[in-house]
This record gives sequence, structure tokens and C-alpha cells, in this order.
Amino acid sequence: MKRLSLTIVRLALAGLGAFLAVPAMADPTAHDLLAKYDAVMGPESFESVIAMTAHRDDGSSRAYKMRVLKKGDDKFRAWFDEPAAVRGQEMLRQGDNLWVYMPSLKRAVRLANRDSFQGGDFNNADVLRVNYQADYSATLAADAGRADAWLLELKAKTKDAAYDSIKLWMRKADLQPLKGEYYTASGKMLRAAEFSEFKNFAGLVRPGKIVMKNMIATQRYSIMSWDSMNTKVNPAATKFVLDDMGK
Amino acid sequence: MWSLLSIALRNVLRNRRRTMITLAALLLGVGVMVGIRGVLNGLQRALVQTAVSGQTGAIQVHHAGYLKNVIASPLTLDMPADEDFLNKIRKVPHVTAVAPRILFAGMINVGDQTLFAAMQAIDPKREFDAVPLRKMTVSDGGRFTSGKIADAVLLTAELEKGLRGTPGQAQLPAAVLGPDKDGALSGENITIAGQLKLNLPGEKKLAVVPLALAQRLLKMEGRATELVIAVDNIDHIPEVAASLRRVLGSDYEVHTWDQVASFVKQAMERQNLILSLVATVFMILMLLGVANTVLMSVLERTREIGTMMAVGVRRGKILALFLIEAATIGLLGGVAGGLAGLGVVTWLEQRGIEVTMPGSAVPFIIRPYTTLTYLAFVVSLAAGGSLLFAVYPSWRASRMRPVQALAGG
Repeated sequence: MKRLSLTIVRLALAGLGAFLAVPAMADPTAHDLLAKYDAVMGPESFESVIAMTAHRDDGSSRAYKMRVLKKGDDKFRAWFDEPAAVRGQEMLRQGDNLWVYMPSLKRAVRLANRDSFQGGDFNNADVLRVNYQADYSATLAADAGRADAWLLELKAKTKDAAYDSIKLWMRKADLQPLKGEYYTASGKMLRAAEFSEFKNFAGLVRPGKIVMKNMIATQRYSIMSWDSMNTKVNPAATKFVLDDMGK
Repeated sequence: MWSLLSIALRNVLRNRRRTMITLAALLLGVGVMVGIRGVLNGLQRALVQTAVSGQTGAIQVHHAGYLKNVIASPLTLDMPADEDFLNKIRKVPHVTAVAPRILFAGMINVGDQTLFAAMQAIDPKREFDAVPLRKMTVSDGGRFTSGKIADAVLLTAELEKGLRGTPGQAQLPAAVLGPDKDGALSGENITIAGQLKLNLPGEKKLAVVPLALAQRLLKMEGRATELVIAVDNIDHIPEVAASLRRVLGSDYEVHTWDQVASFVKQAMERQNLILSLVATVFMILMLLGVANTVLMSVLERTREIGTMMAVGVRRGKILALFLIEAATIGLLGGVAGGLAGLGVVTWLEQRGIEVTMPGSAVPFIIRPYTTLTYLAFVVSLAAGGSLLFAVYPSWRASRMRPVQALAGG
């Protein structure tokens, strides 16, 4: 009986909550959407195993497998396992700086954000710098063609940002990213992304797959898919220093 | 007819001062035309030589579809660079050398600095046989060109400055990075061996690496993306290109130097156009001078024309007389100008003019020259033009009425 009444109270509260929530559900601001994007695509800290397949214009493809670790704002590590050609390569991001450690050189070398990530159609910042709130200023725009999604127009605030401008569509129902278009300063579309396979990664619902199409060499595209993503990690700060690379 | 000619010649000599001034105008005009054409000839020859023997080679071979690909310098469109394949090309008549290259987009790292660069992988042992003038653009104390240092790399000053702040600083660890043929990031340690100058306008951030190192870096052992071919004589280029197309088949594309370095050809066409415009203006000014001279002498000699008509000289003869006078002046002035121009051009050819093209760091010596065909063309233009411009005043002379003319107009 006690249990039942508790349930009823709970239901009532839930109903009340839902009732109260409805009028409170105003349109999100551009800022809210950007924060949501960062929370979904680049949580505070995580460890994940990511697979990437780069499809090339001659029809060939190459599969990569890597482990990525993130701690706080803009501290990333990545370890490559596959294919054999890149096994032992590591990447480190600290703020605006990005290094790659190459076993063939036995040292770390600085890389540029806008350089292609392992020759695929993502760039380094796409993978190892998800902090749109810091990199872009956003305005909410209307897309007459898609009533189910918000359209965000992003303009780069710094030259370290991955792109000069981005159009980002986010689903109204759950504010998940759906589609992205990435442009140069002159307004030429470089790449276009589709987000799909929304999954619950131990409490975090987010896209499990991104297909990135190259709009310059239109036969090329890359698929990135997340095998796992654990946000309940607290990696040691010593993992995010140059000296740790190659060890 | 002969009497008419001798009368015309005497008339030309009658007013010496006026004839001299007209001749001087013609001499200057024709001389300047010959001079400019001569310098331009020399410049264009130097340009072609710089391109053919210093950069592009006479002919280039790529995999079919390479030059038109949306991705600049794609590695997927490659070709063999082994001796068997190269020998197939060497066997084509008039081919003197073949050099394989790989062009790719990569990065050069020095210490803590990494910069994008256009990369050109060349074989030090073969490259300078195919493009001998290119050796002059390298200052490395022989470290790269001898092929003895396997990881020697040459950088343009622009690139080196970006990497090290100032060129020629203390040696820091250096590496070349780039996506290999399959797209995976790859890296090799390098030694910066010296500087490379550009002899034609082009990519300023350029690094030249040994072919073998690039083949290892890009996982392209025994392969190349570009073959540079030298021929014994520039005149044989179209013939050799045609033979190569036949020998290699449709899997490969063969381009002559002017298709690869189309900007050289375009620059030459532009220069020729400007020259024609300048020459036309000069010519017209010069010929207006001739027309003026003839008109003045017609007006001055009204009485004389009346007398000639009164003694029965036909109108046609009067017309011919003035035309011959004008043509004589045109011919004399043209020949004098041609000789003067030839003199100046020959003197400049001996002396040589050193110029540095905008966008290029290597000066070249221009040796102007002219051709008999051009000289003949200019002289006939001066004579023919004078004749043409004298038609109106001569016609007026022939239309005079004898009685009025005798009375002095």
C-alpha cells in the first residue's frame, strides 16, 4: 500500500513536472545548441575506441582503429592500432598545439589543425578538438526545407578552428546533431557530414557514426564509428604531456 | 619608265633637309622595331631554355588523367619508374635523357615548426641529365646533387625562413611528413642540405627530396608520378611526343613543355601582342611623316606639276612620280633603320643582358637576335607603307588642272 501510494505520488509529480515543463520548453538559443553539441560530441572526459574507414576516389579503402582519451578542455591523446602502417603512431593535443609521434622518427612532430586526419576526409581538429563553443560564434537560422531540425550557422572565432564556417543541423526532438556542412572562407563547401546510429554509450546518447563526404574530390568519403565511449574516466594528467609519447 | 625613276630620285635629293628628316623618322621607327623584336626574341629564347632545360624538360609523361585531376598531384595515378620502363622511352629516337619524379603535398618539420610544402622528389643521378640548367638553382655544396647523402633535402628560401626564422641556422632535427599512397600519415628523418632557387614563377614553398626517400615515405618503391624527358633538339619535340604517345599507349598522357608550363607560352603570346601594338603605333606615326612630306612637296611643286602637264606629261605619270619618290624614301629609311637595328641587336647579343624575371630568383642572360625574314618584313613594311600613305597626296597632284597649277594653285 505504501509502495502504491509512493508510485502514485511519483506519477503525479512526474505528470506535474511534464505539465510544468511544457510551457517552459522555449526554443533553445544558439548558445544552448552549441553547448549541447559539445556535450554530446566532446564530453568533458572520455575514453573511446573509434574505427575510421577512408574511402578513396579509386574505389579502395583503408580501415583505421584508434583509442582516444580526453581530459578536460582540449587535452586529447590518440593511439593508433590499425593498419600496420600507422601502428605505434600517437597524437597529443594540448590547447592549440597538436603533435604526432612517429615510430619511424622516434620523436613527436607538430601538426596543423586543418590537416587531413590520416589522409581521410576528417581533419585533425574534427577528431581531436571538439570545442565548438570556444572556436565558433553561432547564430540560429531557419531552414525552410527541414522543419524537424534547427539550423546553426557557425563562424570561426580563431584561425585554429577546423573550418572558417559551418552549417549544423540539430534535431528539434532531442537536440542531436544530424547534418553538417563545412566551408572555406570563400564559401566553398569542403565537406559534408551525416550523423547517424544514435546510441546510448553508458548514459550518454549520441551519434555512433559520422559519414564525412569530401565535396572537392566527390568520390572520397570517410566513415567514423564509435565502438565504445566511456565518460566515467579520470585519466592521469601525465598522459597529456610530450614526454609520455612513444612510451 | 627609267626616266621617271631617275627624275624621282633627283627629286628626293632636291630638298635634302626634308628628306633627311623623313629618313631619320623612318630610321628611328624601323630601328626601334628591329631592336625591340630582337630583345624579345632573346628573352623568349631564354625563357624557353629555362623551362625546357631547367624545369619542365622538353616533354613530360604522366598517368592518364593526372594533370586534370581535381586533387593536385594525386599519388594514386602513378607509373613504373624501373629501368625496363625507362628504357622503353630512351629507345625513342631523339630522346637524350629520362628522369622520374614524384610530386606530392607534404609537410616539412624542423624542430618545433611544421609547414605545408609542395614536394618534388627527384633522382639526383638522373634529374640533371634531363634538366641540366636546374643544377644552377641549387646551392648545397654538392650534398644533394652528388646523391651521396641519402636523406638530403633542399628547401626554397621562403620555406626555410618559415621553418627556422632565418636561413642557415644551427641544425635541428628535421623530418618530412606526408600521407602515403594509401593515405596513412608517414614520416622520414631528413638532413637539410641546401637551398633551392626558383627559375620560373611557381610554388614558393617547395622542398626537393631524393626520389628513393620519397618512395620509402610514400610506400611507392619503384614508382613515379612524372617522367621528365629531354630531347636532342627543341624542333624534335612534337615528333618525339607523337612517338611516345604511340609507344606508351592510352594509359599515359604525354605533354610538351608548353602545355605543362602554359604560362610561359601565354607570357610569350602576350609579349608578341604588345610588340605588335607598339610597332603598329610607331609605324603609323612614321608613315604619317612620310605622307606629310609628300603632301608638302606636292604643294610646293604646284607650278612644276603644271609645267609638266603643259608639256604633255600624263596624269598617271605624275601620280607614279610622287609614289616612287615616297617609296624610295620608305625603302632607304627602312634599310637604314634595319641596319641600325641589326647593329644594336648584334652588339647586345655580344654583350648579353642580365635580367631576373619577377617571381624567379635566378637571373638569366638575354642574347637578343633577329632574323633576315623579320628584317625583310620590316623594310618592306616601311617601303610599302610609305607608298600607301603617299597615295592621297600623289592623287591630288595628278588631279591638278594645268592652267591653275601653272598659275601657282
